[in-house]
Amino acid sequence: MLEIAFVKPDALPRAGALVLLAAEVESAAAAAPPQGLGQRADEATGGAIGRALQAAGFKGRKGQSATVWAPGAGLTKVVAVGLGKAAELSPEAAEAAGATLLPAVSSDAEATVSAEHLPPALAVALAMGAVLRAYRFDRYRTKEKEEDKPKLQRLTVVTGEPDAARSAWAAQEAVAKGVYLARDLVTEPPNVLNPAEMAERCRQLEALGVEVEILGPKEMRKLGFGALLGVAQGSENEPRTVVMRWMGRSGGGGGKGRRNSEAAAATRPLAFLGKGVTFDTGGISIKPAQGMEEMKWDMAGAATVVGLMAALAGRKAKADAVGLVGLVENMPSGKAQRPGDVVKSYSGQTIEVINTDAEGRLVLADLLWYCQEKYDPRFMVDLATLTGAIIISLGHEHAGLFSNDDELAQRLLAAGLAVGEKCWRMPLGEAYDKQLKSDIADMKNVGGRPGGSITAAQFLQRFTNGKPWAHLDIAGTAWASKDQGSTPKGATAFGVRLLDRLVAEHYEG
Amino acid sequence: MLKVRLHREARDPGAVRALPLAEGAAPPAPLRAAAAAARFTGKAGQVVESLVPAPRTLLVGAGPGAAPLDWERAGGEAAAHAGEGTRVLALDARGLPPGAAAALAAGACLRAWRFERHRTRDVKPGLERLELIVDRPRDVAPFWQRAAAAVRGCLLARDLVAEPANRLSPAAFAERMEGLAAHGLAVEVLGPKRLARLGFGALLAVGGGSANPPHLVVLRWKGTTGAAPVVFVGKGITFDTGGVSIKPAAGMEEMRADMAGAAACAGAMLALALRGSPAPAAAVLALAENAVGAASYRPGDVLRTLSGRTVEVLDTDAEGRLVLADALHYAATRLRPRAIVDVATLTGAIVTALGHHRAGLFATDAALAAQLAAAGEAVGEPVWPMPIGERHREDLRSDIADLRQCAPHGSGVWGGRFLPDACHAAAFLREFAEGVPWAHLDIAGVELRREADALGIKGASGFGARLLDALVAMRFEEAEG
Repeated sequence: MLEIAFVKPDALPRAGALVLLAAEVESAAAAAPPQGLGQRADEATGGAIGRALQAAGFKGRKGQSATVWAPGAGLTKVVAVGLGKAAELSPEAAEAAGATLLPAVSSDAEATVSAEHLPPALAVALAMGAVLRAYRFDRYRTKEKEEDKPKLQRLTVVTGEPDAARSAWAAQEAVAKGVYLARDLVTEPPNVLNPAEMAERCRQLEALGVEVEILGPKEMRKLGFGALLGVAQGSENEPRTVVMRWMGRSGGGGGKGRRNSEAAAATRPLAFLGKGVTFDTGGISIKPAQGMEEMKWDMAGAATVVGLMAALAGRKAKADAVGLVGLVENMPSGKAQRPGDVVKSYSGQTIEVINTDAEGRLVLADLLWYCQEKYDPRFMVDLATLTGAIIISLGHEHAGLFSNDDELAQRLLAAGLAVGEKCWRMPLGEAYDKQLKSDIADMKNVGGRPGGSITAAQFLQRFTNGKPWAHLDIAGTAWASKDQGSTPKGATAFGVRLLDRLVAEHYEG
Repeated sequence: MLKVRLHREARDPGAVRALPLAEGAAPPAPLRAAAAAARFTGKAGQVVESLVPAPRTLLVGAGPGAAPLDWERAGGEAAAHAGEGTRVLALDARGLPPGAAAALAAGACLRAWRFERHRTRDVKPGLERLELIVDRPRDVAPFWQRAAAAVRGCLLARDLVAEPANRLSPAAFAERMEGLAAHGLAVEVLGPKRLARLGFGALLAVGGGSANPPHLVVLRWKGTTGAAPVVFVGKGITFDTGGVSIKPAAGMEEMRADMAGAAACAGAMLALALRGSPAPAAAVLALAENAVGAASYRPGDVLRTLSGRTVEVLDTDAEGRLVLADALHYAATRLRPRAIVDVATLTGAIVTALGHHRAGLFATDAALAAQLAAAGEAVGEPVWPMPIGERHREDLRSDIADLRQCAPHGSGVWGGRFLPDACHAAAFLREFAEGVPWAHLDIAGVELRREADALGIKGASGFGARLLDALVAMRFEEAEG
């Protein structure tokens, strides 16, 4: 991961790239290097930078950048990045600037950002944007040319208050690591990342102080995870359920001895659950070939939960949280589940499987019931690349949010806005629930095309036992088809920052 | 619509009686035993028929009996269970507030609607008259007048939606609209020549493949407040084959309902006129048939819309947004509206998103959106807010025109099989509202009832007419402030 160093405004860097941040001005003629390092660099180069920016038509608009090559004073380049209107300067704008500047300096060995005009919180947001944008997955490239590889190892951010920035960055860096971990997991090919391998990677969180428990097929059979096991039975790769516990508040004691019910409520853990279908062929209800390779990311919900647990543990969040992921591979084979099968879920409710490609909800059904029964959580939030219908509903900008709890839903919406992982609330209701009626079992696993994401959520709701719950359908947001802000093309890790923010904002301290 | 009379007592000895009861209310003594035996609790949807003692009486559950909608549904259930051959229903609303009594009658009228015009034999007679039994007819009458106006508006919309496309061409639709002048609406019809002169490039292109040329109808209600009008814009594709991008054959007959948006707007205008609303209002109905013909427009065509903006056509089956583009621009620039609400059976995507239970609501004005949502809940035509994101607008960038009408298939993640077409359509329409506070109701999926319920038989629902009428009542009847 790109290293970030916060330093005091001191001397001009003597080599490498210098990044200047400029607020928006009316016309390019008014563009001038910002005060401080910017002006000093301009003076050191005999006014070359100012002239170049004017010639480039640089106005400091959000997302705008201009590069001045070899302006003198030993610098390889000066990059000017627009912050947008000064009055609208926000963490979001600073993060966007960080994301904009990164590609412009990634081929340099050294780069310094002149952020001494920004409050330390914005300098940290800028660093976050740069780090998140710098993500690459090059594990399987064996022939990349040297000149195509990024050289930047360390980004120096000049700030007036390096100590404040450093301590704020420590927490953000842990979150960024969680995002990286989630992106890695999602990007890994499905022949490498099968359920057992993903469970092993979860175990690595023990190094951060997370308790990790892995349930194999035997344990799950004994418990009666009939819905999850039905999905897994077609594959050679056996399923796993992984439970990760971070007891940052109680230290693992679980608040024993407390009598006060309010205090007891506060010590109940927060629960996060993820769908982890390491590859989804659709099973016997097999998917069309076109685009099927993308089904390797059908475990993005689980990856997000793993990334979140790493973030919470990494920044030593003062909250008790439990993360559960259901890991299976959905394959067609002679022993695969068939359309028409009836399975008995862990809750005891029976499910008629109409479509084996609606498997995510079967996995989550057992997880949700197990979670509420075993951990009595304050709330459960599940994440899943659940339905194509949510993409038809909302596209790729918002995740679908379904919830039986208005307060939780509001908090999730607000947290999503704050970190740029937007959600849109979708309805639930009895009329939709009725679409799941089965002739021979307690329910069907699909409710038809109309309202397809809603009926999927209704299905999940039947396994929440009425506890506060929210469901994020991230099928449209887990993967980006092009670079967008601090998210490069590919796995987005959508949800890690959102849920970390949710915890930080409302459930710590 | 049923003939409704308000009386203190049932008059017709042959009438079937119906007694609606909220949960927990005790049935009258003679019916108590029957109610108990049938485990009648007053739950919504519960109906118990008591044959002894005479007369035949239906006990009808009204659920909590809190909202007018509870009573509407009870009235509807009573009508649904009146029985074959029953001509007169006596609804006992004694002891109920006047609003609830009117709601009972409204529900019965909505449920009793039938569309039998094209049957020539073995037509089964249905309910004809309703006696609404109330304590004080004079107190209930104004409530009923108001409710009846909305019901008649809704039923006009249903009649139009149910009419097959060979009977309801754009010209025939326009002609029916001329009949609304009798109720005090000003009706203006723009035929194909005038549309061409004015530059309705999108509406004309969509209608180009049909032998039945497009029309634009403008309905105006003057009102009394002197404020700027609220304007409804309706999609009126009298039949939608899809055009050159032709639809699959299965289910295509339902495309005769692709003018349900225009029908809802017309119904709302009738309701406003019948109840003499003080609010100035207008409706712009874009009527065309999307047929396959030698003069059909093609995928790839670039159209010049009334607004001057050019639009690249990708899919001739995304025609609704094109006719609305011209109608919206006309409404926004010619009628000086306070707000615009368009109603359209626009996209299959909204059915995937919200199913058959809610319409999609897109808006540029939060207050207008909130009022529409509240109006929808009040009349049992629920909507759900949906987003127009930056990405949705970006997806409409065209390589050769000002914008394209929808996004192409086959690009992006999931093999490009999934497109947020309802959001794209809304982003497209927003361009043509010209900055006027605007909302868009995508009613695909709710324009037809999939099965009978308390307020209607299977088929045309009239969705939108009562909602818009309720919106005007809630928001636009005071002078502009």
